[in-house]
Amino acid sequence: MAHPQAMQPARPPRTRTARPKAPDYLRPRMLSYLLFDATGIVYLLAGLVVLRAVFALASGPAAWQAFVADLHHPGYVAFHLLTFVSAVFVGVRFFRLFPKAQPARIGPLRPPPRPLIHAMLYAVWIAVTAFVVAAMVGVIP
Amino acid sequence: MADGSKTKTFIVTRFDPDRHEAPTTETYEVPVRERWKVLDALNYIKDELDPTLSHRWSCRMAVCGSCGMNVNGEPKLTCKTSLAEYGDTVRVEPLANFPVVRDLVVELDGFMDKFRAVKPWIIKAKERAVEEGPHRQSPEELEVFRQFSMCINCMLCYAACPVVANEPEFLGPAAIALGHRYNEDSRDEGARERNRIFRGEGTIFSCSYANECSEVCPKHVDPAAAINQAKFRAVLDWAASFVTSGPREE
Repeated sequence: MAHPQAMQPARPPRTRTARPKAPDYLRPRMLSYLLFDATGIVYLLAGLVVLRAVFALASGPAAWQAFVADLHHPGYVAFHLLTFVSAVFVGVRFFRLFPKAQPARIGPLRPPPRPLIHAMLYAVWIAVTAFVVAAMVGVIP
Repeated sequence: MADGSKTKTFIVTRFDPDRHEAPTTETYEVPVRERWKVLDALNYIKDELDPTLSHRWSCRMAVCGSCGMNVNGEPKLTCKTSLAEYGDTVRVEPLANFPVVRDLVVELDGFMDKFRAVKPWIIKAKERAVEEGPHRQSPEELEVFRQFSMCINCMLCYAACPVVANEPEFLGPAAIALGHRYNEDSRDEGARERNRIFRGEGTIFSCSYANECSEVCPKHVDPAAAINQAKFRAVLDWAASFVTSGPREE
């Protein structure tokens, strides 16, 4: 009787492979994505500033005045400028990618054309910004 | 040159598992012609300069998806990428995020398993009888998923994806786009099954929407759109399981 493994095909050992190489993170698009990820740190710090504001508010007028005085420090001004730029950067990126993430259909409903979604997003952004600015300068009581 | 060719320097990754501990590079001077693609230069190196170079290719018309490589750091189909896009030096490497078998050839095993995992076939609750005729599909129904069915499995999206780099078990762009393609197919009844897979670990919710997969896709499949549409569908399906009959989703 033949050996039970006599007719089995030869099974060569697996070839040794080289470790996968990481994608090139220095490409402009990838850098932009990493920058987007890094804005999370800015928002974390902005959250801490808001917490400090809440604690100052809870501690009385003197603490609040001290906090407001601190906000005039060039470091705080630079940080808020950075937060603003980060928010605009993330907003633009979100608006660019949002339309294609919409489902192709929900029952019989179809999403509007992508350019229209883009236009609506920017329209809402401009309207909200105008409202906030108007409230800040006292046009809206 | 009189024959219309110009010399470019190619820095090509070399790796022989029997001789090299890790990949190295080798430099070749190639007289390229005006309309050459990157693949033409690699074939020239193989035919005229160094027959030991290993690289995959087949159709030469961006259909088979075999010749994907990193060209100057960007995943590209080398048969579709014109050399005119590059300067005097061109760096050719195997696709990132894949183990390298030899030179520019990468291992596909894990990639194929990911495809199988999303059940890329039409699932029917009940087999359709022959007498019932073919299952017709309108052009509008086809249009919903047509874009996602254009994938040629070239793996460029996996090579570009930062999530695959950090989380090799991630199901990945092409596989999810393929699963989503069947979920959106009006003939299919397997969406619930696939959505259960999609809601598992290392699938759609691992995607951070870097959008790199869509940027490098040579067939404009837009896998990032598929993944993010699949997220919506999977959540909707999960929520619906609380109000419809049948077993509750986990």
